[in-house]
Amino acid sequence: MLAEGILAEAGVVFLFGLLTALATGLGALPFVFASNVSPRTIAIAESIAAGLMLGASVGLLLEGARYGMPQTLAGAALGLVFIVFGRRALEGREVSLGGIRGAGARQVLLMVGVMTLHSFSEGVAVGVSFGGGKTLATLITVAIAVHNIPEGLAISAVMRPKGASIPVCAGWSIFSSLPQPLMAVPAFLFVDLFRPVLPYGLGFAAGAMVFMVFLELLPEAYAAARATTVGLAVSVSLGAMILFQRLL
Amino acid sequence: MPDEPVLAVLLISTIAAVFGALGALPFGLPRPPSRAMVGGAYALASGLMLGAGYLLLGRGLDRATVPVIVGAALGVAYTHWSQVYSGLVDLQVDLGAAPSVADPVEVAAPELGYKVLLQYALHSAAEGVAIGVAMVLELRLGIFLALALAVHNVAESMALTEILRRRGIAVSAAAGLCVVAKITQPVLALAAFALAPVMTALLPGALGFAAGCMVFLVLTELLPASYRRASRLPVGLLVSVAAGALLMLEHVFVAAGD
Repeated sequence: MLAEGILAEAGVVFLFGLLTALATGLGALPFVFASNVSPRTIAIAESIAAGLMLGASVGLLLEGARYGMPQTLAGAALGLVFIVFGRRALEGREVSLGGIRGAGARQVLLMVGVMTLHSFSEGVAVGVSFGGGKTLATLITVAIAVHNIPEGLAISAVMRPKGASIPVCAGWSIFSSLPQPLMAVPAFLFVDLFRPVLPYGLGFAAGAMVFMVFLELLPEAYAAARATTVGLAVSVSLGAMILFQRLL
Repeated sequence: MPDEPVLAVLLISTIAAVFGALGALPFGLPRPPSRAMVGGAYALASGLMLGAGYLLLGRGLDRATVPVIVGAALGVAYTHWSQVYSGLVDLQVDLGAAPSVADPVEVAAPELGYKVLLQYALHSAAEGVAIGVAMVLELRLGIFLALALAVHNVAESMALTEILRRRGIAVSAAAGLCVVAKITQPVLALAAFALAPVMTALLPGALGFAAGCMVFLVLTELLPASYRRASRLPVGLLVSVAAGALLMLEHVFVAAGD
């Protein structure tokens, strides 16, 4: 009787999780209006993506600290190692993704990879917080869905200037969020099993995203736009992301 | 009553500023630091400042959200306008031309010299505010931040000395100038701390302001200079590891000590 109730609730968690993943695709929409892609526009898009990812990392670290700061930072170190080796594995390899080829495709692949892995951690965080005694509220799910939109925006800001179409950007954005519902359900059902892993996962996601920003996004942005332009774009999107995450 | 903390603020932030002189010393060695090493110093300084910014932001967000973000926006706006009105934005172009900075006429121009020192003075002022605000919040956090910024001052002074050396200034004089350029740090730390009664009410906003200033300074001054001198893998690693190490140390020495 009780088990049945939990399973039904798990089904609801999954369904809402799926909806939140679809919301990520909405992040591609603003690019319908941006048709002109000068090097400066690309630099600004990369700066916005950098700010959004840094803002998301602040949220992940603050959340991770609640479960244990050393574990979170150990996870972050793993995130760095992952990027270093992921980048090395892709080096010199011919990849193509969403119609993008060459060095751009390797960067986009890394970006989608990082954002997808980060969704695993986010999914666990959602499941654990739902299972941690809080009631399953539609409001929370709506909040997560809204959180996913800027993440889709970050992915699209990197993919779109490199020549991917809007549907392709939206598709990969949604793909990157799919682990969220998949991980939320087991984490919700087996909270005690997942809770100890959570700070490592949150830290991993934060470390990988922060490193991506300083390794790939910012150096490219500075190469094509003035430091002031990059600084303002990063700061505004960073602040907006924090505000967004805290208020919604 | 506040006599002792004021002394602590003055002492610690002055020590942090004096640390700046150490950054000039490697240039007295037979083999001065390479361009890539100075790039690494900029990256290290960036990571420490971003870590400090995160700590201030986190402390602020524990208390409120909107005032912190409003404060941060004001910090960014203040830093941006101070760069625009003092003509420091030109520096980003002047020094941004990468290897061609070697142009002796341009590097020796008096105007560039005054701008470089002004840039460091304004930059250090923001860090002083950060130390002062942190001290108002928790003395331990303030001392920790001052020590972290002391290490960062060494790296930053290395960068300043590189510029001064190219203008033909002796290492000893450069060491002195590095400390002078940092003197705004203890002054503003004291000023911020002196305003503590006012600050207590505005604490979330003040924390956001300090964090906003620091993040924007890193984004507009330190990071671009770092990428121009060193390749992106060491820069990215140094920034991330320095920031992470700072958070770990803070956890051990400040947060866990409560």
